[in-house]
Amino acid sequence: MINVLLSVDIQWDKVGIVLGLIAGIAIVLAVAILIVTKVCHITEDEKVLKVIEHLAGANCGGCGYSGCEGFAKGLCSGKACLNDCKVTSNEEKAKIAEIAHLEFSAESPTVAVVRCNGGDAAKNKFDYIGNQDCVSEMLFHGGQKLCTTACLGLGSCTKVCPQGAIKVIDNKAVVDPSICTSCGNCIKTCPRVCIERIPATAPVYVACHSHCKGKEVMGQCSNGCIACGLCAKNCPQHAIEMVDNLPVIDYSKCTGCKTCVAKCPKHVIKVHGEILTLEKSKAVDKANQKN
Amino acid sequence: MEIFLIIIVAAFINNAVLVQCYGICPFLGVSKKMGNALGMGLAVTLVMAITCLVTFPIYNYILIPLGIEYLEIIVFIFVIAALVQMLEKVIKKFVPHLYNAMGIYLPLITTNCAVLGVAETVMDTTAMETIFHLSAGAFNVGHAVLYGIFLGLGFTLAICLMAGLREKVDNLEINKHLKGFTITMATASFMAMAFYVFALVQI
Repeated sequence: MINVLLSVDIQWDKVGIVLGLIAGIAIVLAVAILIVTKVCHITEDEKVLKVIEHLAGANCGGCGYSGCEGFAKGLCSGKACLNDCKVTSNEEKAKIAEIAHLEFSAESPTVAVVRCNGGDAAKNKFDYIGNQDCVSEMLFHGGQKLCTTACLGLGSCTKVCPQGAIKVIDNKAVVDPSICTSCGNCIKTCPRVCIERIPATAPVYVACHSHCKGKEVMGQCSNGCIACGLCAKNCPQHAIEMVDNLPVIDYSKCTGCKTCVAKCPKHVIKVHGEILTLEKSKAVDKANQKN
Repeated sequence: MEIFLIIIVAAFINNAVLVQCYGICPFLGVSKKMGNALGMGLAVTLVMAITCLVTFPIYNYILIPLGIEYLEIIVFIFVIAALVQMLEKVIKKFVPHLYNAMGIYLPLITTNCAVLGVAETVMDTTAMETIFHLSAGAFNVGHAVLYGIFLGLGFTLAICLMAGLREKVDNLEINKHLKGFTITMATASFMAMAFYVFALVQI
């Protein structure tokens, strides 16, 4: 090896040129970058930087701004409202309010929930075999479901969810409340306005939002709310009120006794997060059967 | 006439992605949405133009007279990376809208192979003169920059076509084994076959 190295006739003048050239380029470029950095230095607002530190950093875009940096700038210039961000916790928001001198009233944390229990139980007008996307399907005679409020089950919401919290189970979308940050991207996307925010601590929710009368709903879907009012009559806290053929739950009164879940003949009132736990136990059962 | 030839050759016959297979990484990585693809394509175009503007004189007026042409890659990477760094800062300061549209892609393509590839292509003046039927010594910096710009625009065309196809294909009901990256690769190969037609053009 040493012999080979020694036998090579090293052109020392070339080595000098090469080293000189590379060193020269490095120095010239370093100086140029320094100068450009100095000339183009942007004095970013310290307030904005401090606000960004306290934001959740999810960059979900749920507030309508392009990421958390845009939202922080909006806050400091007074264009944005702190409650537009659903991801950041209330303690952090209080700190931001102090930094940016904003008014802030704490909201209880929310999660998104799909208010449709139809899936395969909702009857079809026709068979749709086009573009597999809810927004596209909606353009074609308002979608294949007879019920005009039913979840179409093609998962446009799953595509926009930055957390991957939405799954399509049995042809209807289901939000995982443990992952959902309530950014609201799915709410904006859903062409059926199926998805709504409810308090994260809500024990139950109404999984139907068809305002049709009972008989009409029966014709469209075997899982829909028929507005019988049994939940409202039986609620010990009187937390449920029938409004426009749908029960509305007052979560400030609800104690989570789940009487309404037991009384509902159509099983429209669901325990929050139940569908996913059922699905998980089903998967576990399947795995056990295989073993 | 040679300007027309350079445009056609750079954008179609020598298309960076679909014929020369340069820059496959951004082609597959940033082609999920049309807006992102357009931003990436324009960023690549800008960087390619600047690369040609700088590396062509460096190679022909510094490296060749000193007899150290073999250092091209090291020197080019050095120069391109530093220039893109400066460019990013300048754009951020003076054209913030442009920075919002394509700023995040600039650092990604500092040493992209498509950018280095265009530098390597244009610096070989004799080969370029043969292709474009120019007399010896007629291929200059202006031609090189034009070649760079249109190679970048060819890249933009390819990546935007890909993004449009992917947006459509994502919504189709297709075999689950084909879904995702597999169908994307198949789409890319069919597009490349289509672009090979341009190789038949006699110039």
